[in-house]
Amino acid sequence: MVGTYILRDSLQLATPPPHPSEAPIHNPNPLATTLSPPSAGTKLSLTVISPRHTSLKRLYHLDSANGTRSAIPPSIQESSNETQSLGSDSSQHRANGTNGFDHTDERTPVFGEGNPSLALANAKDSKDAQKKRKPKGNIIKSNSSFVSRVIPHEALPKRLQERNLEGLFAFANINRAVQWLDLSSSIKEENLTKILFTKAHALCHDVNPITKSSNHMDVVLGFSTGDIIWYEPMSQKYARLNKNSAINGSAVAEVIWLPNSENLFIAAHMDGAIVVYDKEKEDAPFAAEDTSSEELNSTERRSKLQIRKSVQSRNQKTNPIAYWNVSNSKINGLSLSPDGRHLAVVSEDGSLRIIDYHTEKIRDLYTSYYGGMMCVCWSPDGRYMATGGQDDLVSIWSLEDSMLVARCQGHNSWVTAVAFDPWRCDERNYRLGSVGEDCRLLLWDFSVGMLHRPKPASVRQRGSISSHLPIPRNRAESSTSRLRSNSNLSATTVEKEEIIHAVEPRARTAMLPPVLAKTVDEHPLSWLGFEEDCVITSCKEGHIKTWDRPKEVTTSNDDLPSTSGSNR
Amino acid sequence: MTSFFGRLKGNTGPASPSTTAPVKKDPNAPQPTPLEKLLVDAGPIREDGSDKFFGFENVSSSLLTFSSYCNSIIQCLYYSVPFREQVINFPSRSPQDTLNRSPSGLPRINTDIGGVTSNGTLSPTGSKQVLPSPAQASARKSSTTPAALPGQVMKPEDNKDSPEYKKKVAMATGPILNMDYENAKSYGMSESLFTSLKDIFEAIIAHRSRMGVVSPHKFLEILRRENEMFRTAMHQDAHEFLNLLLNEVVENVEQFSKKIESTDASSATSSSGFADAVSSVLTSIVPATANKAPSLSAGWVHGLFEGTLTSETRCLTCENTSQRDEAFLDLSVDLEQHSSVTSCLRKFSEEEMLCERNKFHCDNCGGLQEAEKRMKIKRLPRILALHLKRFKYTEDLQRLQKLFHRVVYPYYLRLFNTTDDAEDPDRLYELYAVVVHIGGGPYHGHYVSIIKTQDRGWLLFDDEMVEPVDKSYVRNFFGGENVLACAYVLFYQETTLEAMQKEQEAEGLAAAHQASEGYKEATGLGARQNGTVPNGVPPIYSPTTPTVEEIDQFVNLDHAATVPLQASLAPGVNVEHTVTSPVAPIGSPKKGDITSKKEKAKEEREKKAQEKELEKQAKQKRKEMETLRRENYRKHQDEMKAAIAASKATKAEEDKRNVPNSEEEGPVKENGTNALTGSLNRFRHTSMSIRHKPKFWGHKDKSADDAKNSSVQNLINSGDTSASSSTPMQASDKAEKPNWNRFSLGRKKSTILS
Repeated sequence: MVGTYILRDSLQLATPPPHPSEAPIHNPNPLATTLSPPSAGTKLSLTVISPRHTSLKRLYHLDSANGTRSAIPPSIQESSNETQSLGSDSSQHRANGTNGFDHTDERTPVFGEGNPSLALANAKDSKDAQKKRKPKGNIIKSNSSFVSRVIPHEALPKRLQERNLEGLFAFANINRAVQWLDLSSSIKEENLTKILFTKAHALCHDVNPITKSSNHMDVVLGFSTGDIIWYEPMSQKYARLNKNSAINGSAVAEVIWLPNSENLFIAAHMDGAIVVYDKEKEDAPFAAEDTSSEELNSTERRSKLQIRKSVQSRNQKTNPIAYWNVSNSKINGLSLSPDGRHLAVVSEDGSLRIIDYHTEKIRDLYTSYYGGMMCVCWSPDGRYMATGGQDDLVSIWSLEDSMLVARCQGHNSWVTAVAFDPWRCDERNYRLGSVGEDCRLLLWDFSVGMLHRPKPASVRQRGSISSHLPIPRNRAESSTSRLRSNSNLSATTVEKEEIIHAVEPRARTAMLPPVLAKTVDEHPLSWLGFEEDCVITSCKEGHIKTWDRPKEVTTSNDDLPSTSGSNR
Repeated sequence: MTSFFGRLKGNTGPASPSTTAPVKKDPNAPQPTPLEKLLVDAGPIREDGSDKFFGFENVSSSLLTFSSYCNSIIQCLYYSVPFREQVINFPSRSPQDTLNRSPSGLPRINTDIGGVTSNGTLSPTGSKQVLPSPAQASARKSSTTPAALPGQVMKPEDNKDSPEYKKKVAMATGPILNMDYENAKSYGMSESLFTSLKDIFEAIIAHRSRMGVVSPHKFLEILRRENEMFRTAMHQDAHEFLNLLLNEVVENVEQFSKKIESTDASSATSSSGFADAVSSVLTSIVPATANKAPSLSAGWVHGLFEGTLTSETRCLTCENTSQRDEAFLDLSVDLEQHSSVTSCLRKFSEEEMLCERNKFHCDNCGGLQEAEKRMKIKRLPRILALHLKRFKYTEDLQRLQKLFHRVVYPYYLRLFNTTDDAEDPDRLYELYAVVVHIGGGPYHGHYVSIIKTQDRGWLLFDDEMVEPVDKSYVRNFFGGENVLACAYVLFYQETTLEAMQKEQEAEGLAAAHQASEGYKEATGLGARQNGTVPNGVPPIYSPTTPTVEEIDQFVNLDHAATVPLQASLAPGVNVEHTVTSPVAPIGSPKKGDITSKKEKAKEEREKKAQEKELEKQAKQKRKEMETLRRENYRKHQDEMKAAIAASKATKAEEDKRNVPNSEEEGPVKENGTNALTGSLNRFRHTSMSIRHKPKFWGHKDKSADDAKNSSVQNLINSGDTSASSSTPMQASDKAEKPNWNRFSLGRKKSTILS
């Protein structure tokens, strides 16, 4: 995989000046630093309206991760649905949202499907499935004090009409602005629409993969004020959720659409709460329905999800659909597994929690080597997670073995975003990338078979957690049997110490070096995404850079057929 | 007391901050300060001093000297629980002493006069010195910067949110502990920085108020009397001061113990309770079988701050690896833009190639050879003082410059750069104090510290002013362009995962509690004045007297072998007799003593040698004085010889280093440094002030830079070569450098995991 990534282009988003009503208070005292609003730097949500064709192979591959792993053709590069695997750290679930949608036998369970009160609403949804409902308010004509200005491109309808449906849309935040960009356009620097908010900073956004069409996109935006906006850019309509902090008053660190759901999305609030909202439901002032968890002792509180409102609750007329207190500290990242069954949550206290959110239970709790964890993502097959944190490490965790697989050392500062490169992964070899405060992009390769370490005492027998997850248990014995000692042996009780995993000492952990390290910006980086033909990075100051993949990849195709991307 | 603002304007010119005055918020006069609010239901005062929050007056002995560098460091040491306990408990008192030591038992502690009710004029000297100074300061300021800032309608100290105002109020409120006396005799010691520090600590603890201002006149007097470099306005560097103070404390304590030892020896059957007490300290530190060397009593400073570095040099010809150990009290790390403390520490230990004119004399091959060298931590200190080398010598300007690099530091830390045989290499540290330097350059500026206190969360100590701050406030000092205030010294202390989780739990509960009370701005957009929480309630947990849990945390802190349990002892128990025995230094105790002396000797010599190049009269003078003083008790001739040898060795080594960059240094003198491996290398211990060094050893290091007493500086000098050869990726990265817009994969799939 020798090759050179070449900068294709660099896009600079302008940082908007503060709103006139929010004139900055200049305090001459350097110790009086006014706390800046929580900001994660520029992040992108990428989407393509209509992929060239749906790649069955790719889907097969992903499914095989859950089933008959040994039989899969070792190839993913034929996949041309770049549109679905957009490489953001939350992108994989989008690809798989569609995935599960197509395969009903192994489909992702629909969130809350056992609850008749929710099912009612869902049935209503499917009634007019052809016509997507839009939010009610017009954002351009809005007189809300929340929205400051909306600047659509003068030729927006024309540009939308003429563009290739395979082209890449992006939503990017910078400061108090959100921009809608057409990255496939020749004038991509001219945004399709720019929305300026009065004081709230958009921190995160996501596009619903199953509702998008040439005349509709469901975008959800989370803000530093705790507000959430459901935005439909084609019609410039919007609706506001969690208005005036009715449900949760802290900033939204991450939003993700639930797989197979037109309406439901998950928001991670910075006070450690994870809330499931319905884009069309009204807010109701939230009072915890279940406070039993408050009496738990500290260990229990760590190992159990504190359910404030269960998805099984009868009262589903209003938001929230579900409300869990996951962590005591700020949640920094959130990612859904490709099969849509698990949620990986990282927070400032240095914890990684794997949550089976359908059953509302914590499955695993890991702790970073030290310092907070900043970001998390899943491997395309859902078997591994990568996290990045304030220990300057990228850590790789195995879902099925419930253990730390390796630590990747190479960053010179905190790691702010990690992403697997689905075009360079197969069932044994994985490529992932990470960016950090050190302004550098690092790429890492790891291979299951090569991972070797002394048998740690900490790999305990796993308990009946597997009863929640019957499917993933059976796969991939061949490739990882050495590491997975007893995962199929079932005990009957879930014990806390099996959920809470100890920190692995350095001496017992494999340490990986990067295969590439490159300073790609002058400012700390905040986001990373892989596309079929390029890598995209963005930084805190709004630089979005696109790097073409190496052209000479073909040279490596012979010995590494499974990871090539040669047919381009 | 003087306003930081004033100095800033006077000194920094273009970098001076914005023009508009902060919005005035509280027009009505006497509001409780945030600290008062914090302590409102604090319960009974504790015996261990953990609930005392005193500011320190910025004592100016002349127009240009201020003591914030000193105040910030003393605060950091005070809130290091084990350090404070050791200072209080050394020297150990006899039972009689202990009985007599009721709060009023020591006549010379300014405790019971006045109190909060009086307006702070506790002592005539205090009021005289204190009150005029703000006026002077403002007068000076307004005269030096007349109408410099148009938007500025009022003086900074008129604004109730300004630190100037708050400091004035703190001085007016009092009580002021005017530390112009010394109790050295009652400790049985001669007057020194240590006794003076102890005076301050004891006075704070004994006072019945929780808040107040310490006026450390005596301490500064001793400091300035004995150390020329702190007498002038130049180089009032907090790290230099920390290093000096720790070394002084070691020395004072050592000297005292030696004295006691000799009296003890002469009257072996002494019935003096005092001597008994001391020897009981000694035995508690060393196992009874060990040699009761006089140095042992100094063990507690070593046991807290000292760690051991191993430098491994591997000769590339014969593959022979030689090792040498040296002790350090703090680590000075070079900074890079956009890096982290973790990375700085790793760079510190990166491999360095000794090649070309910087070859290594290998004993095994018997000649100059290329070699690889790296420094690793062999023994981890319990308190890790990390000095970020923000002051760098730049050759074109011929002076030190401040680096504003953004260097992030996590709340928790482990060290990657340990040796394979290090004990507990995964030791967890927590950040407990940050010393912040504010200002545009090294020659002026202001220091404050932000410290995590035992159970009151994080507090900002800005001279006289003490204010609770949000935990996230600690992260405001990473540095960056146009950021005047950046972290300069970081204190990490040993902790455990359990303690960490307990604390996070408590923080979470406090946050939840606030949220339930409708206090929603915790993570929102709330603008804060001076970093305090808007309504003065910081998000920390229950402000009550210590619970069992909290005590547990202290126990945990003491990780190694012995555990100081003073915190848990009921008041009135003879705390003094349970003097903790911190981990003894790894080397044999006897050696430790000799070493530290030899180190000092060597340090002197090195400095002397280097001074010729820098022609600093003042420092020379200081050194001579110091040398004289120290040599009075340095009797052993062999030690002297060894020290001289060591000094020569280092000189040679430095010469060697100088060669690649400075032709005029002359021929290299290669007298086997290696021969000294093992025993003498520990002499490197303390700081060698880089200021005294030639300007150009180590070209990556751009300079000899850093007016820092860095313990290890001459050994880091990380070479470009090692950096570039360490990984193929980096190499290719380098090769690509001319074309910035591309990067390469330098390696085929690296699936090999070690």
